[in-house]
Amino acid sequence: MLQANYFDGRSTRVRVVSLSVAGEDLVIAGEGIDFRVPFADVKVDERLGLAPRSLRFKDGAFCEVRDLDGLDTLLRSTAHRDGRVDRLQRNLRFVLFSCVACVAIAIAAYRWGLPWAAGEGAKHLPPVIGKTLSVQTLKILDGAILTPSKLDQERQQALSAKFHSLRLQEGGTPKSALLFRRSPQLGANAFTLPDGTIIVLDDLVTVMGDDQQILAVLAHELGHVHGRHGLQLLLRSSAVGAFWTFYIGDISSLLAAAPAAVVEAKYSQELERQADDYGAALLLHNGLSPGLLADALQKLTESHPGASKAGFLSTHPSTDERMRRLRLSRSAPPN
Amino acid sequence: MENISGSESPTQISSARAPEPLSFTGKGGEYFGIWIVNLLLTIVTLGIYSAWAKVRRLQYFYRHTQLAGSSFDFHGSPIKILIGRVIALVMLVCYNFSVRLQSSMTLVILLIVAVVMPWLLRNSFRFRLYNTSWRGTRFHFRGSVAGSYRVFLLNGFLTLITLYVMAPFMHQRLKAYQHDNSYFGRTQFSFHARAGQFYLVYLLLLAAIVAFIVLMGVAGVGAVFITIFQIQRQGGRVDPALLIRTVLILYGAFILMAVSIGPTFRALITNLIWNNTRLGEHRIECNLSPLILIWISVSNLVLVALTLGLFMPWAAVRLVRYEIESMRLVPASDLQEFEAAEPESLGAVGEETATVFDFDISL
Repeated sequence: MLQANYFDGRSTRVRVVSLSVAGEDLVIAGEGIDFRVPFADVKVDERLGLAPRSLRFKDGAFCEVRDLDGLDTLLRSTAHRDGRVDRLQRNLRFVLFSCVACVAIAIAAYRWGLPWAAGEGAKHLPPVIGKTLSVQTLKILDGAILTPSKLDQERQQALSAKFHSLRLQEGGTPKSALLFRRSPQLGANAFTLPDGTIIVLDDLVTVMGDDQQILAVLAHELGHVHGRHGLQLLLRSSAVGAFWTFYIGDISSLLAAAPAAVVEAKYSQELERQADDYGAALLLHNGLSPGLLADALQKLTESHPGASKAGFLSTHPSTDERMRRLRLSRSAPPN
Repeated sequence: MENISGSESPTQISSARAPEPLSFTGKGGEYFGIWIVNLLLTIVTLGIYSAWAKVRRLQYFYRHTQLAGSSFDFHGSPIKILIGRVIALVMLVCYNFSVRLQSSMTLVILLIVAVVMPWLLRNSFRFRLYNTSWRGTRFHFRGSVAGSYRVFLLNGFLTLITLYVMAPFMHQRLKAYQHDNSYFGRTQFSFHARAGQFYLVYLLLLAAIVAFIVLMGVAGVGAVFITIFQIQRQGGRVDPALLIRTVLILYGAFILMAVSIGPTFRALITNLIWNNTRLGEHRIECNLSPLILIWISVSNLVLVALTLGLFMPWAAVRLVRYEIESMRLVPASDLQEFEAAEPESLGAVGEETATVFDFDISL
């Protein structure tokens, strides 16, 4: 005998009944109720923790059972078998396996899936996206931290001419526009916008001893252009941001930006190395030494005191490590 | 808070019956097994199984929610949820692309989204309520399509052109549309909160944000002064560690503000909404404490981050338990008396068509 609450599906009235099995039938008896139905016509809810399970009849009536062990005993004398997922959810081994598998999949997706998808995405996005983003980004930067360059026009043109006469390994000369700006906050630096436009800051030109070192820095930036790193980063951080917003969204959608920033810093290190390698090869291809880029890095480090302490949040890999790589690549054959 | 959340009843309902608290009996550990297995199945099926996982999740939470000794239940079909998700995904992608890529298509796509959205949301409410039951009696939503266009499009437009001054009013209209058109069986819900009460909660929120911005401004200016002072003492050299520390402190303050204002607002507005909602003659009481809600949200966030997301099931159960157990029903008469709606009373556009066109677009 199993106690249950019977509801007719037409009102909220509770009727206490007892359930039993007789042959192929389920027998329901209690307060003014006495009937039997073939067990084959009864739908049994799956088990969800300690929630009550219901036995549902075709006319919309049902019995809510709270004695789960009693129900299991009753079900054993019938042809009922729990569903596959129902059993998996209660199988401790499978739960542990799921746990490990989910973590492993998450790590693999983050480590390999995301960079691959961002790389492919950056390759196939229509150029108009990069263009629009770059125009907007430059507009924002110009209002905030960038001011017009104080370099004289001739110097700018001379540098542009040298830059545009570099021979690319993949053939042709750089198509990137070269823009000059000044920024007391950023100091000696150069960076690339998503559409490939390279922005050179005045301090970079003054800090570098000779134009060859400036060209070395630009060669590195061309590495970012070639790999479409700007778009890749954007895609990666959007994807990570979207994921966290979706995942943490139930609790709070506000912290989504923080993990994305950490992730981005980590990714940039890889991309910086790729850009270094591309820049070094480009320099060799033009009969220049990759050591120039190492020298330029040294100068940059000296002009930004304290920046060589590469921390967890640092965008660039440790500069010492990069210089070592570059000086080694001097002997590497151009590829 | 009493003046905000207190029920403004025109006729005082005297009730000799004891309030029936809602209780939640789910447990994080128990839910973890269900959650992780369904998560794996969702990943392996590239998201398709997520609809089945959602049904299971809702059933877990509904069936562990009890009122007067009986559980709620969810009856939604996974296929409908899957269809709803595909539609929601398509709309989200269209919307994102059209906003990012400003072109001639932007306006067209936004227009289509605006025209379709109210209809979708209304059908989504209908799906959710029709598939919710207590003691075998279903809830219903009978809001009209015209009403949903008024609430979402007209009021949304008014909110935009008045620079969000009308946002609390629109929120009140939305809740009135939802609650006044909801039924449990044949018994109708009614909504009694006035727009003025919504304005009060929104003004409190605004005051809290302004106070915090002023505080942060003072802290920020102070931090800049200290930094400049330090830089001068070190002979003009900028210590990056000091700058980073300043930024981190400001960022921390910002996070604190962000994580406490959300739950506070939610507690106040949820109390207001439910304390002014009635089911027939039965009153509903909701007594969420902003402080407890902040504590649960912040600690959940920290624990989820520290466990790389694995704490999620416990976090969800904690939050839901607190929210559900802060509500109770104050019955005016016997809870046995509710009757299910008769199928013929629903008319031609009742729940039979609802089962064809309705789907759930919420996550």
